[in-house]
Amino acid sequence: MPLAPSSTAAIAKHPIHAMLVPFPIACFVGTFLTDLVYWRTAEMMWADFSAWLITVGVIMGWLAAIAGVIDFASNRLIRMQPPAWWHAIGNAVVLVLATVNMFVHSRDAWTSVVPFGLILSGLTVLILLFTGWMGWSMVYRYRVGVAE
Amino acid sequence: MKPLGPMLALAFMLPLAACDDPLLDPQDQVGPNPVLPAPRQYLFPPMHLAAIVGWKDGEKPTVAKGLKIEALATGLEHPRSLYVLPNGDVLVVESKSPGTDPVKRPKDLVMNWIESIVTSGGDEGKKSNRITLLRDADGDGKPEVRSSFLEHLNSPFGVALVGGDLYVANTDSIMRYPYKDGDTKIDAAGTPLTALPGGPIDHHWTKSLLASRDGSLLYVGVGSNSNVGENGMEAEKNRAAIWEVDRATGRSRVFAGGLRNPNSMSFEPESGAMWTVVNERDELGPDLVPDYLTSVKDGGFYGWPYSYYGQHVDPRVKPERPDLVQKAIVPDYALSSHVAPLGLAFYSGTNLPQQYQGGAFIGEHGSWDRQRFNGYKVVYVPFSGGRPSGKAQDVVTGFLDADGAARGRPVGVAVD
Repeated sequence: MPLAPSSTAAIAKHPIHAMLVPFPIACFVGTFLTDLVYWRTAEMMWADFSAWLITVGVIMGWLAAIAGVIDFASNRLIRMQPPAWWHAIGNAVVLVLATVNMFVHSRDAWTSVVPFGLILSGLTVLILLFTGWMGWSMVYRYRVGVAE
Repeated sequence: MKPLGPMLALAFMLPLAACDDPLLDPQDQVGPNPVLPAPRQYLFPPMHLAAIVGWKDGEKPTVAKGLKIEALATGLEHPRSLYVLPNGDVLVVESKSPGTDPVKRPKDLVMNWIESIVTSGGDEGKKSNRITLLRDADGDGKPEVRSSFLEHLNSPFGVALVGGDLYVANTDSIMRYPYKDGDTKIDAAGTPLTALPGGPIDHHWTKSLLASRDGSLLYVGVGSNSNVGENGMEAEKNRAAIWEVDRATGRSRVFAGGLRNPNSMSFEPESGAMWTVVNERDELGPDLVPDYLTSVKDGGFYGWPYSYYGQHVDPRVKPERPDLVQKAIVPDYALSSHVAPLGLAFYSGTNLPQQYQGGAFIGEHGSWDRQRFNGYKVVYVPFSGGRPSGKAQDVVTGFLDADGAARGRPVGVAVD
């Protein structure tokens, strides 16, 4: 069994990246759902939910990215894994799309969601499905950050 | 460190700020047929806020040739509007926002912070929400009497006197107070006449007031509860409108609607028609939508939020209302975009030079949501036959200094 590549940005061997990533994932999926409901109902409350979800997701997402980049950059064993590259590049795209989407959601009323906000929210979730899969490969197959 | 490359490059490509300003001359949007560019929406709309520096000793606004300007009073707390009593006493309404606009979105946090930069005084816990009386009986420009006329009001704005009844429009109600000629202070507790839409939200909180010629009716300006309906249309019920209130019973009805934020209604002296200045919507670009001066028809609908300048549909409002868009009246006279007109006064006197007789003076508070400042001055619109008859002329300027900081920002206008 090869050595598990250790996480650098960790607290008591608990990787910070793994602790933060649930927030952007849940927030971005939530944004897509509340965007869909707003699109169908034009009820402003749902667009307000979307605005909070996308904003919190972006903030937590960038924090998770910082922890992730530290792990990635400081351990050659992590960089040697193909899924790590897909995960890093894919999530960079996710964060850029989500950040743009946050500004789209700062518009007033209908066009804060339809059509560009909704399209960006959908794209974000699609890419997340792939990058999330890659991230789980890193941990559950290659044991990144798993303490020996 | 190869892996960092693509991430940083993408991050820097983010088009966060749209800095380009239009080439449209503000004068192209002054008059009855303003040029209206296509609406634009932004990731981050252009903004330019004037820092408040105040007037230094010896500084005063610049006036057009043939005019003079002097401060009648200084040291007021957030003065918003003026009313002249029949005996020449000037009432200054000092007022501050009720502060009930809730944080509904992350954007509101940012906008509150921005607003705190451009709002002078009034929010610092100082004494405001009162009316100060100034009496300059000998007309030398220096008031002999300055007294606290009415205190403990609730974000007041409009004032109207009918006989011995003085009406004050607080943000949530019209109050009636007894007044007799020569009073410099009112101690009586007021009597409420009619409740007005105040909170919740109360986004545009100023309530202008105008009494009909015969004194039987009061007209109230009630601004919208949002920029363009983003707080839901239920919050806009009976808002973005001018109300007509029966003075005897307090019963009210909407006199005209679709007016986003109407202020300072006044009767045009020649035709007797009601006119008002209106602050139009934001975030469709630096040259949309021009604020305007318009006559107000009984039962008229002026577009907000569904459309602007007649049938120009706003893409941000759903569900759409083609029935209302179709009947939306085109306003009479555009004042250019984001100038924020708050004060309107027709001049029917004869003391000012001939060129300022018969038309309207307008106080333009000044822009914040465009790169190049617009407004920050008092203009004069000539009238003839009861209609605007020429370009708006600058009358009082110099509110911005050379660095683009604001010494002051025009609000109410009144004729003594």
